[in-house]
Amino acid sequence: MIYIFDGAMGTMLQNAGLPPGYCPELWNIQQPESVTTIHKSYISSGADIIETNTFGANRIKLTHYKLQDKVALINTAAVQAARAACGPNTKIAGSIGPTGKLIVPLGDLTFDYAYEVFFEQISALDQAGVDMILIETIIDIQEMRAALLAAKAASNKPVICQMSFGADERTVTGTDPITAAITLEAMGADVIGANCSLGPAQLLPIVQKLVKTTSCPISVQANAGMPSLINKQTIFPMGPDEMGIWAKKLVLAGAHYIGGCCGTTPEHIKSIRQAVKHLSTSNLPIIQQANKTTALTSRTKTIYLGANHPTAIIGERINPTGRKQLAADIASGQFISVKKEALSQIRAGAHILDINMGVPGIDQAQAMEYAIQELSMLVDTPFAIDTTDPKALEAGLKAYPGRALINSVSAEPERLEAFLPLAKKYGAAILCLPISPEGVPKTAQERLHVTQQIIHEAFAVGLKPGDFVLDALILTAAADATAGIEALATLKLYRQHLGYPTTMGLSNISFGLPRRDAINATFCAMALDAGLDAPILNPYDPLMQHTLAASALLLGHDPRGRSYSIRYAPTSQPEQRTDTTTPKNVIAQIRQAIVSGEKEAVVLLVEQALKEGNSSIAISEQALTSAMNEVGIAFGSGQCFLPQVLLSAETMRAAFLTIKKVLPSHTTTSLGTVILATVKGDIHDLGKNIVAALLENNGFTVIDLGKDISPEKIVQEALAHNADIIGLCALMTTTMPQIDNTITALKAAGCQAQTIVGGAVLTQEYANQANANSYAANAVDAVNIAKKIMGTKTH
Amino acid sequence: MPLYNPAIKNINIEEMKRYSGLAKCSEFPQHLLDQACTEAQLVSQGKASWQIYDYNAHTATIMSPEPLRLPPTVISKHLANALKVVVIAVTIGPKLEELVSNYFTNNEYTLGLLLDAAGTTAVEIAADQACELIKQEVNKQGYSTLFRFSPGYGQWDITVQPQILSLANADEINITATPSCMLLPRKSITAVIGLTANAPTITHDEKIKLSKCHQCQQVNCLARKE
Repeated sequence: MIYIFDGAMGTMLQNAGLPPGYCPELWNIQQPESVTTIHKSYISSGADIIETNTFGANRIKLTHYKLQDKVALINTAAVQAARAACGPNTKIAGSIGPTGKLIVPLGDLTFDYAYEVFFEQISALDQAGVDMILIETIIDIQEMRAALLAAKAASNKPVICQMSFGADERTVTGTDPITAAITLEAMGADVIGANCSLGPAQLLPIVQKLVKTTSCPISVQANAGMPSLINKQTIFPMGPDEMGIWAKKLVLAGAHYIGGCCGTTPEHIKSIRQAVKHLSTSNLPIIQQANKTTALTSRTKTIYLGANHPTAIIGERINPTGRKQLAADIASGQFISVKKEALSQIRAGAHILDINMGVPGIDQAQAMEYAIQELSMLVDTPFAIDTTDPKALEAGLKAYPGRALINSVSAEPERLEAFLPLAKKYGAAILCLPISPEGVPKTAQERLHVTQQIIHEAFAVGLKPGDFVLDALILTAAADATAGIEALATLKLYRQHLGYPTTMGLSNISFGLPRRDAINATFCAMALDAGLDAPILNPYDPLMQHTLAASALLLGHDPRGRSYSIRYAPTSQPEQRTDTTTPKNVIAQIRQAIVSGEKEAVVLLVEQALKEGNSSIAISEQALTSAMNEVGIAFGSGQCFLPQVLLSAETMRAAFLTIKKVLPSHTTTSLGTVILATVKGDIHDLGKNIVAALLENNGFTVIDLGKDISPEKIVQEALAHNADIIGLCALMTTTMPQIDNTITALKAAGCQAQTIVGGAVLTQEYANQANANSYAANAVDAVNIAKKIMGTKTH
Repeated sequence: MPLYNPAIKNINIEEMKRYSGLAKCSEFPQHLLDQACTEAQLVSQGKASWQIYDYNAHTATIMSPEPLRLPPTVISKHLANALKVVVIAVTIGPKLEELVSNYFTNNEYTLGLLLDAAGTTAVEIAADQACELIKQEVNKQGYSTLFRFSPGYGQWDITVQPQILSLANADEINITATPSCMLLPRKSITAVIGLTANAPTITHDEKIKLSKCHQCQQVNCLARKE
């Protein structure tokens, strides 16, 4: 059966006289007959389902019109206006539009408040007698999740979830149709689809993707083409006939519910009806049946687990157990270490991140919510929420903009009771851990039995095939000689009897033994052969990485060994650069290390040079100073760039500190005293800091006054320190005049120091008119000018 | 008033190299570039706020409650066909610049410079994402968007910043201007985006002429594109 929706409501209301800027939903109360007339026109054009005039009838949207207290009234009136138009075969869908705000962390609306807002509206629609709930035009998967949860709580009616995708086939917040469909089907959406933003041509590939992904029926409500603005009016160009042609294509692609969105009229619906009414449903693509592959999603990505998919690595490192720094970071609410672990694990090859906030004494629910929010803004991988605390689990599942894996559900009654309903409610998959009230089953057969019990209980609360990942349970080989064999046997039994994807925490096997990496990697290879699909492991382990890469090839997940070859094939050796050959003389080696910025190497070289009897003065002059001069010249000629100059300066500093460490009596004569400041009103100090660094490294005594420094302060410090040079910096046109003011103040105070000015907006001409002694175009230039000034002074 | 916190999931390393002056440098320790990008990602908190106003192109005036007349420079030419404008403010927050200062204090100048460049990349990424969201929303009404144009470019004086911040409701995301009209946090952007009836037909040469680098007077800038 193909169901025909109606078309646009807003433009029809405007055509019926709704004044610009007036609340469209208020007409449900004030002019219900006008609303009913529009519904009738769609029904007479062939619509099977009409949508209530409630797209913006939520508390947040109605606040714009100061109608926030009339949510129930407006929604009830909308259903009555719709019902008045219906014949016996017409159904009413309660239209739920977006709040217009983004949910935390993409915006400032909390998930809980969004839920309340939707619950309020959906309750009103449900009680007024709609036949189904239609959540539409949503661009943020979290907003859709909040609305869907509210719909499931407020009503027993079927729920249609329609997202709005852009031309790149993603919502503007990054969710693709496959990811949306998996996430929403798992949460209990009855129909999944797309509407608005695009015309039917652009929605066709989206429908095709949805059909291949979900076992839910598909709905689509396209705009009448892509709009143009003509005489300040938004015009949708597609006529009814063309819409009909596209409607047929959309239905043949697998859409079972079809209607129109912006720019469509009763004529469009009539055309759609005519185009699809004779299509036989037997011609339509077969709806996907749920299979035993388990899919996890993030906001923007889907990862499939199972025998027909590449091994998915679950990174185990976001777990504070036994890790003081990580635990302290979580307890303090900083989460920088947590974020670092997330990024590092993904770079090391993790496909899913296990998130454990098990720090004793903290509010784990709060920590989990925050971690999930922060990490979902940082990475694309799906998460496994790893906790024994039901509150922390629910906080994490609620905050997670996708379909998470719950780690873990055992056969213990309290765990089944608390965790399975949460999995069902939030559409999560569960990691089944074969531990029963009697304890840890020793044999593979016993583990299979316990896992079957968990799955049985899960089915009873409504979970489906595709919701499971089975843990084979690894004990410690050092304590139990059969640990490895039983785990491998369990994997084989899982594959033989159940067929769901499998996992296990690999590193448990080697606990208490030396060279754990060798045991873990070997065991991983054996387990992959026995049917392991998603190992939980430390992705940083190089031996494990080699094993996984080789196993992917051997198990047929790396066709023609392409990934393996890219990773391990020897690359052609770069030609040896003539200037990087190692000089024999240690002084020359130090010089070269500074030029090429090798900070660690230079320390050893300086120690060696001193040990060989080279004087500190020889090292300073022949290596350090000489190298920095070379770098300065290379910079001036465009052969070397500022970060390289800074790296050389850092290396020189490391060399100098090494000399001082070995020979505390070593002293250098200051080339002169330089006062540096960013002028009053200016808060940019990056350039000034670079100048300070290079001057210091070139032997000047630098007194850095900082940023936003008044002329008076600069004068005072210049006189107090008997400065030789004053360097002034301004970045913006608005602060440039402070250069003039400062120089005037210095001269008025009788300061004899030479002034060098610089900064983004400054020019030689400006320096001249400000009576500065010199203008430096860059930091290296500033050093050269300073040296020249001091050279002139001493001669 | 729209608010959006863009996710910064990747720092474009080539852009970061350009901002740090390494665009033409082929040999530089990769681990330092990676570290700067990672740290920028860790501490950046993208936030954007904006507001849409009618625009009178004849008088080059943003029709806000207190109308803002734009100068007869590149900005008003850029908006010659605009019917509305979006006034937007974007930031990645203050943490990155604190980290940059710490690096300089600890004599790790290179990382300081690279992190600063990574922060510039991050705030541009955040602005790009916010602009994309705006673009998709206004496209639904048939509007096309012009590229964003910021004070400080094309002789548009930065003294307008306080008014632009106010029009963008930037106080909601904690961006302020100093008395000398610099933005705090420093890694912040304000801009105006023109909304037109038709997609702009712009030639390649015109695009270059209107590009940020072309409109910027800092001819010696490390990051300047040829």
